[in-house]
Amino acid sequence: MIAYLTTLIVLVAVSALVGLALNVQWGVAGLVNFGVVGFVALGAYTTALLAPPLGWFPAMIAAAALCAMISTVLAFLSIRLEENYLAIVTIGFGEVVRILLLNESWLTGGAVGIADIPRPFVNLVPPRQYDLMLAAFALVLVAIVFVLLETLVRSPFGRALRAVRDDATVAAALGKPVLLLRVKAFATGGAVMGTAGALHAFYLTYIDPSQFTSIITAYAFMAVIAGGRGSNFGLLFGAGTIMVLLEATRFLKDAFAVIDGTQLAALRLGLIGLGIVLLLILRPQGLLPEPQRKANDFFPDHEGTS
Amino acid sequence: MIAQLVLNGFVTGLLLALPALALTLTFGILKFPNFAIGAMLTFGAYAAWVANSLLGMPLAVAAVASAVVMALVAMLCDVLVYSRLRDRGSITLLVSSLGISLVLENICRFAFGNATRNFAFEVARPIRWHGLRINQEQLITAIVVIACVILIQLLLHASPLGRAMRAVADNPALAAVRGVERQTIARITWCIAGSLTALSGVLAGLDRAVDPLLGWNYQIPIFAAAILGGLGSPTGAIVGAIVIGLAEELSSLVLPTNYRQIVSFAVILLLLLVRNRGLFGGKAVRK
Repeated sequence: MIAYLTTLIVLVAVSALVGLALNVQWGVAGLVNFGVVGFVALGAYTTALLAPPLGWFPAMIAAAALCAMISTVLAFLSIRLEENYLAIVTIGFGEVVRILLLNESWLTGGAVGIADIPRPFVNLVPPRQYDLMLAAFALVLVAIVFVLLETLVRSPFGRALRAVRDDATVAAALGKPVLLLRVKAFATGGAVMGTAGALHAFYLTYIDPSQFTSIITAYAFMAVIAGGRGSNFGLLFGAGTIMVLLEATRFLKDAFAVIDGTQLAALRLGLIGLGIVLLLILRPQGLLPEPQRKANDFFPDHEGTS
Repeated sequence: MIAQLVLNGFVTGLLLALPALALTLTFGILKFPNFAIGAMLTFGAYAAWVANSLLGMPLAVAAVASAVVMALVAMLCDVLVYSRLRDRGSITLLVSSLGISLVLENICRFAFGNATRNFAFEVARPIRWHGLRINQEQLITAIVVIACVILIQLLLHASPLGRAMRAVADNPALAAVRGVERQTIARITWCIAGSLTALSGVLAGLDRAVDPLLGWNYQIPIFAAAILGGLGSPTGAIVGAIVIGLAEELSSLVLPTNYRQIVSFAVILLLLLVRNRGLFGGKAVRK
């Protein structure tokens, strides 16, 4: 039971990180990223390749840095264009990563993947309690990222990002550097996705391309929509709820003997798709929406002038 | 050798032409790129497989049945989802099409598993012609696609419906003033897009085999073709599809075949950098 609980904690943590990252990019800055899974995979593989020679911490930082760099390049390439094009470029990026991971076996091990990835703080606790240790590590990681992103969102930078999201033309007219703001937001999200990939690699200690499927991208969108676009608190709530619900579908297999593994996987993905559509139609603002701030919140001295 | 690759590339391009045309038509009317295009292709292929293998229809009849089914499914998606989100911007529609894509693809996976399925269809020996090898499937693909393309061009340019569709694509407000209702035109466009995609699904299933990821394998090339042609331009989509098909096949001279999709991605990136309107696009997409 403890083992299952710690597993669940790590899974929720990975998902929360991915969701928080998409929430910066799409929720706060309004930039769609359909290649989420590509960034997570890249982070995981960078960690797996660099952790043995460099140690887990430099590897994790490298994963975040590499994903941030690639996000920056993609953002520069396509953000000047209409938003639809960014979506197409990122979905293409995700596919390219998948193809490279499968085919460049000299580096990635191809379909077999990479095993024996070093984990953080291995020598600190006896092996039997390591799972608890990793769960704690995952929670700390989520807490750090959450605090950082929440600070970011509340800062003038975050306010400028939301202004760009809501109306780029007005933001530009007010002198906001729209392109730079968008690139920064996209890079920040990329770094967090890389970190999520690193945590994924630490948790499993082996990675292969089959772990990185579109469910990661779909899940991230579902979490952001469910939580309420732009709200980090909402995201944690959304990510937690969905993950627990998804985990619960595992027990469907026991309840209905007719459902096999493939059908279960299909059912979960289909339900996520249905959830995305239903939430968009029925509750577009999410379950815990971003607070609508009025001008008075920013200028308390000038009441009634909004 | 090169002539054979050119021929193969041409047929691959024709295969992409129908979904690229479908993508560009819905983009023209509704102004969002439909990410469910791959899943619609897969769904159409499964519908034809059910009609052909399980119900025992001849493949041609099964293909028509699947086109009808997919037209209805696409219209149902519009009634239930897209029409309710139409006023909420293209990104909301885009994300909802991601959701629909997951639902369609996983209905197929749930019902028929991950196994690959083949149509009940006699494979004939390839025709030899001036040293070229032409498969029967390639011939069928060429005939079906060219017929569909001619039909669509006639529909767009020589019928009142086509004129209404082009009017809505150009300026929905102005079209509304002239009594052309966007909602009706959108529904009809979805029907056309659905049947075109289903037919391409049948042809793709004939070329490879039917499996849940069938359409996903074409997703990037379809987008590349439609963007290359300039999103919203039907003629552009067809030309774009053939260029992408040729680029993919000819790339096998210098790249391993596994990297074909990367060629499409490179075309997209290059286009966005150099000429983001595509070949036939009118307006610049830059904001």
